Amino acid sequence: MMDCKNIREILDLYVDGELSPEATVQADTHLAECPACRNTVAGLNRLRQGVKAAVGQYQPTLQLVDRVRQSTISRWTHVRSWVPITAAVMLFAALVSLFSSQVRGVVANGLEVAAFHLDDSRATVMEGKLLCRDCLLKDEYGYHAMCPTRGHHGSLQTRDGKVWNILEGEASEELIHNSKLLGRTVRIHGRCFRRASSVEVDSYEVL
Amino acid sequence: MVPGWTGRSRRFERDALPHLPALYRMARQLVGVEAADDLIQETYLRAWRYFETFDAATNCRAWLFRILRNVWINRWRKSRLELPLAETGEEQVEPYYDWEDDFLRDEMSAEVERALSELPADYRLAILLADVEEFTYEEIARVTDCPIGTVMSRLNRGRKMLARLIRTYGEAKGTGPKPDEFVRRKL
Repeated sequence: MMDCKNIREILDLYVDGELSPEATVQADTHLAECPACRNTVAGLNRLRQGVKAAVGQYQPTLQLVDRVRQSTISRWTHVRSWVPITAAVMLFAALVSLFSSQVRGVVANGLEVAAFHLDDSRATVMEGKLLCRDCLLKDEYGYHAMCPTRGHHGSLQTRDGKVWNILEGEASEELIHNSKLLGRTVRIHGRCFRRASSVEVDSYEVL
Repeated sequence: MVPGWTGRSRRFERDALPHLPALYRMARQLVGVEAADDLIQETYLRAWRYFETFDAATNCRAWLFRILRNVWINRWRKSRLELPLAETGEEQVEPYYDWEDDFLRDEMSAEVERALSELPADYRLAILLADVEEFTYEEIARVTDCPIGTVMSRLNRGRKMLARLIRTYGEAKGTGPKPDEFVRRKL
């Protein structure tokens, strides 16, 4: 059985709910019979509530909350998310734009311009199959070729499928007009004019 | 979900950031309104840095308060000399909490805060953790890195000291009872 002295010794434990269930029952029994100790417990609880009310009235500012977020999770968010997000948006835009023929034309021209700057009118060695330009156009586009009456017109088709005009000249005479060379693989030394899809022949060899 | 957030960010957002108001309340009582923001900022930076070491099965709030206490001790408290806690004898007969019914029911937050600020820091910390944050003694012991017996002692002495100071400030304000109005009783 607890008395007033016992209650005073365990007062903090009692109000903080740290007593064992048995000790709590004993304390409750005493408090039910002792108005003075009940008053003391009530006074201590008022002190605790007073502390909570005084301290609990303060809230952090929104600026502080933002600052903490920025310096912790948001910092990583910015670093980690912007790179893939930007890349994904650009890729998506590029894919979508390819569905437009105008955009495709612009892109193709842009690539051509870039290619001209990279490789224009330079001495080059080109290798490919000698084919008749007019017959190719006839096969692909239904072009009304004059080959039966005017003869074939040799052109160079490189491995990428592109067809190059062979510019007239002494060194290119055979390549253009000798139909026996059609279908042969040749290596041409000369100059390349990408914008005109043409090649000037300095010399060549039939492979 | 925010794109690009790591799992760590999501967990920090969910587990750590909601306790910011509670930590701020404590910071304000420990270092004052001027330095409270800095203490919080540094506490959260450290929490973020070591968040991978936090065991999700344990109490995040207690973990954060422990970090706050460590930052406070390392950065703020060492710059302020405090008298050692006097181990004075118990005053067995003083009825610390036997104030009149309306005392402390009135608006006395300013007096309570002033009294809190006068307490030795370890007492203040123990009282705030118990009465405001409602931590158990075991949690307070972990946060403050001391035995449970020390927690009990700090709470007991600190509350009595606090009650005495509040009574003094209440008298000065004129809202509290005069000393001779308290009924002293022998236990």
